[in-house]
This record gives sequence, C-alpha cells and structure tokens, in this order.
Amino acid sequence: MPDQFSMLVYSFLGLPLAALVLFNLFGKRVMTKFYMPVGMGICLVQMLSAIVSLVLLSQYNKDAITFSQFWNYQLYEGASYFSPDTFSFLSLLCIGLVGLVTFLVAYPVLPDRRFQFCNVTLVLLLGMNGIALVYDLFSLYVFMEVTALSAFVLIALYRDAKGLEGSFKYLMMSAIASAFILTGLALIFLNTGSLQYDVVQAYLANWQNGPNPVLTQIGFIMLMSGFSIKAGVAPFHGWLPDAYQSAPAPVSIILGGIVTKMAGVYAIIRLVGEWLPGSSVVNVAFMFLGLLSIVLGAMSAIGSTDFKRVLAFSSISQIGYIVLGISSGSPLGFVGAVFHFFNHSVFKSTLFVNSAAVEMQTKTTLIDKLGGLHKQMPVTGTSNILAFLSTAGIPPLAGFWSKLLIIIAVWQAHGGVVAGVALFASIFTAVYFLMVQRKVFFGPCREEWKDVQEAKFSIRLASVLLSCITVGVGCVFPWILRFLGAQGWI
Amino acid sequence: MLDLIASFISSGLGVNLLYTMIVIPSVLALLVLLMPKAKVSFRNLLFLLALLLNAALSLGLLKLDDMKLYLPWAGGEMGINFALRVYNFSQQIIVIAAFVALLVGLFALSYLRKKSYSSAFLFYYLITVALVNGSLLANNLVVMLFFWEALLAVLFGMLILENRNDTRAAVKALVLNGIADLLLMLGIIITCSLAGTPLMSEMRPIPLEGVAVLGFICMMLGALGKAGAMPFHSWIPDAAKDAPLPFMAIMPGALEKLLGTYLMVRTCFDFYQLAPGSSMSTLIMVIGAVTLVLGGAMALIQKEMKKLLSFHAISQVGYIVLAVGTALPVGYVGALFHMVNNALFKSSLFLSAGAIESRTGTTDLREISGLGRFMPLTAISTILCALSIAGMPPFNGFFSKELIFDAALETGMVFYIAALVGAFMTAASFLKLCHAAFFGPVKLPEGINREELKDAPGAMLLPMLALAGTCLLFGVYNKLPLSYIQALFGSFTAGSDFSGWPHSMTLVLISLAVLLVAVLNHLIGYHVTGQGVKAVDHIHYAPGLRTLYDAAEKHYFDPYRIFMAVVRLYSWICLAIDRGISWIYDVLFVNIVGFVSSVLHVFNNGSTRLYMAWAFSGVIFLILLSMLLR
Repeated sequence: MPDQFSMLVYSFLGLPLAALVLFNLFGKRVMTKFYMPVGMGICLVQMLSAIVSLVLLSQYNKDAITFSQFWNYQLYEGASYFSPDTFSFLSLLCIGLVGLVTFLVAYPVLPDRRFQFCNVTLVLLLGMNGIALVYDLFSLYVFMEVTALSAFVLIALYRDAKGLEGSFKYLMMSAIASAFILTGLALIFLNTGSLQYDVVQAYLANWQNGPNPVLTQIGFIMLMSGFSIKAGVAPFHGWLPDAYQSAPAPVSIILGGIVTKMAGVYAIIRLVGEWLPGSSVVNVAFMFLGLLSIVLGAMSAIGSTDFKRVLAFSSISQIGYIVLGISSGSPLGFVGAVFHFFNHSVFKSTLFVNSAAVEMQTKTTLIDKLGGLHKQMPVTGTSNILAFLSTAGIPPLAGFWSKLLIIIAVWQAHGGVVAGVALFASIFTAVYFLMVQRKVFFGPCREEWKDVQEAKFSIRLASVLLSCITVGVGCVFPWILRFLGAQGWI
Repeated sequence: MLDLIASFISSGLGVNLLYTMIVIPSVLALLVLLMPKAKVSFRNLLFLLALLLNAALSLGLLKLDDMKLYLPWAGGEMGINFALRVYNFSQQIIVIAAFVALLVGLFALSYLRKKSYSSAFLFYYLITVALVNGSLLANNLVVMLFFWEALLAVLFGMLILENRNDTRAAVKALVLNGIADLLLMLGIIITCSLAGTPLMSEMRPIPLEGVAVLGFICMMLGALGKAGAMPFHSWIPDAAKDAPLPFMAIMPGALEKLLGTYLMVRTCFDFYQLAPGSSMSTLIMVIGAVTLVLGGAMALIQKEMKKLLSFHAISQVGYIVLAVGTALPVGYVGALFHMVNNALFKSSLFLSAGAIESRTGTTDLREISGLGRFMPLTAISTILCALSIAGMPPFNGFFSKELIFDAALETGMVFYIAALVGAFMTAASFLKLCHAAFFGPVKLPEGINREELKDAPGAMLLPMLALAGTCLLFGVYNKLPLSYIQALFGSFTAGSDFSGWPHSMTLVLISLAVLLVAVLNHLIGYHVTGQGVKAVDHIHYAPGLRTLYDAAEKHYFDPYRIFMAVVRLYSWICLAIDRGISWIYDVLFVNIVGFVSSVLHVFNNGSTRLYMAWAFSGVIFLILLSMLLR
C-alpha cells in the first residue's frame, strides 16, 4: 500500500481538531452560520475516509494500517501508536454516520445552542475516533475519558434539572468505571510492563503461567467491569436509561447510536473477542451478562411509558446480543457481534431520530399521550416500523442477519437453551416495539394531534437515509457473508 | 359436433350409452332449472322427457353385454380413470331405478303444482337420477365415491326445500350420511390398496383377515349408511315430517335402498369373501335383525302416516341386511328380490300418503278416517301395497320374505324369530294404517268439505296403481325378476331354483300363522278401544314397553343424539383447552411479564446508590464466577 494513503488516517483525528480550533477562532456569530457545512463536512469526510480505508485494506490484503507519528516515535522495534484495522474502520464509519445524523437533527431541534453543541460534539467525535485508532490500552482509557466528559456536557446542555441529573448519574458511574479500569490497567501493567495491544494479547494468551495469575485475574475482572459500566451491560446499566431519557433529543441519538458502544462495547470486543477467544471463564461470564442484559432490557422496556426510555432499555437488550455473540468465542460470533454493532448503530439512531421528530412536533415522548401519528407523520412512522422490524430481527432487514449469526454461533458454543432464551427474548423485542408503534403511530388520531406536522426536512432526511441503509444492507447481506467466507473470516 | 353425433348414432347402443346415462339427465336438469316461470308446462314436459329418455336408455342398456369405458381422469400412478362398466348387475338395478323414478316423477309433477320450489325440486330430482346412474355404472371405486358423495349434497338440498328456516333435520341427515360416507372413503382406500387396483372389475374377493376386516367393515358401514340401516337411520323419520313426499318416496323409499343394497352385495360377494357362519356374517345379521325389530317396533306405535312409513323404510332394510349377512345363495337372492319389491311398494305407499295429504292436508291418522269411500282407487293401491309389505301371498313381498326366512333359519333360530317378529309388527301396523285411514266412520280435518273431497288426480293415481300392479305381477309371476337375479350369481346359485311357490310348506304355514296372529291382535285391539287407529295401543302402553317407547319417542336412543352429545362434550373440552392456552398467553404470561417489569422498574428508580449497588454486585458475581470455574 502506498504510504500516502496512510495520510487518510490523519483525517480522523486531525479534522475534528482543526475544525475545533478554527471554529473557535472566528467567534460564535460567524460560526453559527457555518454550523451545518462544518459538522456535516467533517462527518462525510470521515465516512468517506473510512470506506476508502476499508477498500484499501481488502485490496492490499493487510490486517491494519500501522503508523506511529507524533507520539513516542519508536517505543521499541515494531511498536506503533496507531493501528486501525477493519473493525476500527467499521467503527469509524459508524461514528461518521451517526455524527452526520446527529448534526442533521440538531439543526432544527437546537436552534439556540448550535455553537455549544457543535463544539462539544467535535470533541466527542475526536474522543471516539481516538478510541478506534489507538493501539494501547492506556491511550484507549484517555480517549474514553475524553468521550465521557464531552458526553456529560452534552447531556446537561440546557443545564436544566433533568439534564443535570442524568449527567450526574452518568458521571458517578463513569467515575467508578474509571477507577475500575485504572486499577485493572495497573494490575496488568504490573505483569507485562507495557500496555501495547500485542504485548497484552501475548501475555493474556498465557496468563496462568505468568508471575501473578491472581492479580492478573482480578485486574482483568476490574477492567471488564469498568468497560461493562461504560457499555451499559446489565447489571452495570443503571445510569443508562436515565441518561438517555434526560438528554436533549440529538444528544440521545449520538449517545444511543454510538457513544456507549465506542466507550464500552468496542473495548469488550477487542479484549474478549480478539484476545481471549478461547477462555472458557470469560466466555461463560459474558454469556451470563449478555443473557441478563437481553432479558432484563426487554422486560424493562415492556413496562416503560416513555418512548425514549423504551429505546434506552432496548439498547441494553441489543448490547446484550453483541456481548452474547462475543461470548461464543468463535469467528462467526465475532463477525455477528461486529455486524450487530453496526446494525444497532443504524437502527437505534433511526429510532432516536424518530423520537426526536415526535418530541419536536408534539413536545412529549410519553407513549400514553401520543396516538395515531402515522397519518400526519408518514415518513417518520414508516422508517420507525422498518427500524423496529430490523431490531426485532425480521428478514430481510439488516438486524435479522446479524442476530441470526449471533444465535447460530451461540447455539454452537453454549447449546440450544441459551440460544433459545436469546431467541425468545427477541419475541419480547417485537412485543414492546409493536406496542410502542401501535400506541404512538397506529390507531385513530387523537384530537390534540390533529394538526401535527411532519418533521422538518433535515430530520426526515436523516431517518430516510438510515432506513435506506437498514434495508439496503439487509438486502445485500448474503453477498457480504459470501465475501467474508471467501476471505476466510467465518 | 356433427361428427360426434354421427359417430354416436352409427355406433348405436355402444359404449357411449354409458356416459349418456349420466349426461342426459344432468343437462336436462339444468334446462329444467333455467326454464322461466311462465313456461311451467313446457318445463314439466321436459322433465318427463328426461325421465322417459332415462327409462328408454336403461332398457337399451339391457341389450348390452359386459362393456367397459375408460376415460382418463385424475391420472397418476394409481390411475384414477373415469371407468364405467355395464353388466347384468348394474343393468337390472338401473332399470328398476329408472322405472321407479319415472313413476314417482310423474307423481311429483302433480304433487308440486302449487309449491314454490318446484323447479328446484325437479332439478335435484334429475340430478339424483344422473348420480344414481353414475354410482351404479362406475367401475372405479373412487369414481363411485364421487357420485356417492355428490348424492349427499343433493339430499341436503332436497331436505331444506320445504323448510328453510329449520334445517335441523337436513343437518342431521348430512351428518349421519357424512359419517357413513367418510367410513366408506376409508373402506375404499383400504380395499383399493389391498386389491392393488381401484377397478372393481379387476378385483378378486379378498379373504377376511387382518386389515381386510377393517376395510370390509368400513365398506359395509358406508353401504348401511346409504341404505338407512341402524345406526344411520334416525334422520329418516325426522325428514319425513317436512320433506316433500316425492322425495321420501324416491330417496329413502327406493333409490338409496337400491344403492345401499348394491354396494352391500358387491362388498360381500365381489370385493371380500364373506363366509357363511363367520363372525363378520353374524355381525351383519345382528345389525340387520336389530334394525328390523326396532324399526318395526317404532313403526307399530306411530299414528302419523309418514312417520310410520319412514320407520318401515328402516325396518325393511333390516330384512335386506339380514339376508345379505347370511352370505348364502338364497340370502343374496332374497335380499335383491326384497330390494326390488321394497322399492316398488315403499315408494307407492309414500305416494299414497302424498295423495292423501294433497287432498286432506294431513296424514295424521288421528284426524282422518273412512277415506275409502271418497278415494277408492287410492285405498285400493294402498291396500295392495300393504298386503305386499306384510307378506301376504301371492304378492311379491311374500315370496321375497319367504326366501329371507329360509336363509335366516338356515343360519340361526334367533334370526328367524327376529324376522318373524318383524313380520308380525309390519302386518299389525299396516292393518292399523289401512283400517284407520280408509275404513270406519268418516272423519275429516277442519276446513275439508265432504262434498268436495275427490279421489287423487290421474297423474297421481297412475304411478301408485302402476307400482301396486307391478307388486302383484312380481308376486304372481315371480319367475321374471328371480330368473334375472339368479343369473347374477352364476355358478354360486346354480342347481337351485328360487322362483315359484316356496319349497318349504312349513315355513309358509308359520308365516301365515304370524299374519293370522297379527289380524287377531288387531281385532282384539279394535274391540278394546273401538278405534282402528288405536288397535295396537295395548302393545304401546303395555307395562314396561311404555317407558321404553316414551324414551324412544323422546329420541333418547337416537344414535345421532348420543353422537352429538359426545361431539358437544368433545368440543367443550377442546374449548376449555383452547381457553386455557389463551389464558396462559393472554393473562398469565402478560401478568408475569408485567410483574417482572414492574419489579425491574422498582430497581431502576433513578437512585445512583442503587445503581452502584448493581454494579458492585456485578463485580462480585464476576469474581465468584471466575473462582468457581477455575
């Protein structure tokens, strides 16, 4: 691969940083005008770069683009600071997509806070891009904190009581998570002397014969617990519904769509899925966590009365599927988890976009107050049902394929009972989503919503774009599977 | 088209005649149905033409030898071809059927003159004729089943004509016949798979062992259901109340008996080897004897002419079944002879009831009396047929019954006694009927003027008298039918001659003694009560019998009622199971989910303290798990 192409990778960190600096140079009044081109431009460039990088990777048959400029030029022979691989680029693509949608939705929803929103979101993007790019655990932690901090600010963007409360809970739990992660990192560093991915991976492959197996084990548990808190895996999920529900509508999109996944699930996939595929202890532990998340999330969603809260619980449930797929320890489960990671970004963003549309038009997200909006908001209603069906895993939508892969992998690894529970819980997914769809969009229109307008153009554009991706990816998925099979990944 | 007609004419009475027997009545039936209301006389002419053509063609069939027709139909490996065959057995039954259908059809035209549903009835009537021809001509069991089942639809249609609001009797007939046909279908499947072919002409009698027994029983039950033997009988008295009388005369009176007997004889003789004295033989004879005695017993106490006749329609089937069950040559010949005779006198008797009803508006024997002086020809026809059915020499019923007595006695004394009891009850009930209706003091229902009461019109009298006359002819010159019937069985009946005067004088004397007892019984009853209609009340209200009769009159013994009770119980159980499952889904499941959900919401109440507790419990869980799995 020509060296110039590795320059592409700089766009992921350099662009948001440069934009942030420029944005603040010219002052608030000027930049508010350029909010849309700047935000959307950065996200579009990021998506484009990610796609080009993915194509290049497969073209040149390389696993990762490794480079180590700027920092610590040569730690030791062969070491590097950044080493994005296919999964990283897929994550970067998701970040770009969800970021784009968030900017689109925030434009009409937050007319008075555009400047602040754009600033903090750029930091958030920077943090998430960093998570995807870095090649050592400590830098991962640093970018995780960058992401988390900007998320706290975004949740409390309006500084109202609700937002501050949600932000505070997230902050508290994140603090605990940070403590866990730092302790875990320290204990692992004690044994390895380095936190480079390849060093840690090599050590973990044979940790029982290392100098301090018990400390390593505790360190690993600490690390996993910290990541689980960030990811919102049950029983570490408490903060998640409150934070999602109290955040402003566009912030919910980026939180639910990508932030918790980059801050937690990404690391879990890296550590458990890539480095410890054969470890039965970790697999069983994550099997339990995954099943608990799936069932608890679905059950809680059924009883929720707020549209956004249902979506938040559904996120817990879907993250449970990703974790369950990882816990199978097989390449098939890994691929399924990664695809569910992508699909969940897409359909959960769609749903949050639609909830933002409903909230903007009706000023409420309480399910019992809404009713019969489909006639007034056909685009929103239709994209909503597509996203619901994709979440519930109905063919031929994208969500079906990733869930199918996960359930097959789980069946092979843990047997029929676990797979059966996972399947059964996806019936619950259909139950609560159909409930929401029926109460919010279907049925006779309520008197007070007779004059409701369809959402603004940019919101509609966002939901149509995401729905197209859901349907499109679902339709071409068999070819993607064939490609993966040809590459020998599954 | 012209070529087709030309080839048909040039081939003369060829194999084309076979499907013509089915096509001509069907096509003319459609024309009759479509004929405008204003052209009633033309429609009637068309109807008569159809029946005359049918009769003429059936006579033409007699001239044919054994002849087969194959048309590709629902093909496949098993080869369900549209196979028809005419040979001496089907020839004779078709001739009888066509003859009876012509006469009853003539009667029906007159009877239905003022009814609103006449076109529909005539349509059904012709379709019935076509289907009966098809059933008798079919050489493929599946094709036969097709016609057989189609008859069920026509039967239902005819039953709901008179009384469209209350379809209970029609539904009852449909259910009972439907069950019988279902059994027949099962029997046909077994028979075809055992024989390896659905073609009847290819079949060799299968020995009765193993699965063959099941197939035999299913086939026989299907045939019994069509003939109206127990336990498929109970729709006939119910239908008699409302159905048009020509329907009663043609369907339960004649055609269904012909079809049922035809299939019974073929099953016992052609498809399976029914040995005399075998357990299957005994089973069928028991069914026959029970039908015979119980049908007769119920007929004995009826005071409504149509119901009385319909119970006799059941009772006479009993004789036929009993005779077939003996599996003896004399039994088969007796059964077929009785089948022919029954078709003649039973349809004629139903027609008499129709004639009385059309003149007086009722057939209840308690309301009419002494009609003989107003309707002498009806009375003569009825009495002739009554003598036939009671088995008085020299009428045909006497000769066929003597053959059956002979066969029954040869198989077992019990069956002979049952047959004699049946004969007694038949004679007693017809003595009552004729006495009550035609003799004694004149009694007419309200609104009927004595001066205006006339005998039935010629169009009604002609068929009745023709049938009654045939009864006498077949009695006096019984060689005519018996020689044909005997020829059917070939070497099986060779060496014996059943025509002429019965061989055993003892049996004849015993039969005559039974008739004498019936007459004495009638005289005693008449003497006690002073009324012909109450002549058998001393049996009806005898201690013990009275309770049984009351229960029977309330349908407690009706197999349909018992069956329906079982069905209702079954459906109730199914409903309970269904409700239970629904309850699990709709109530239990929802409540459990709701409960779990509300508990989870208690633990997700916004308290950071609680969330931390969750998180730490998660860490502890992970540590414990890792220790456990080490």
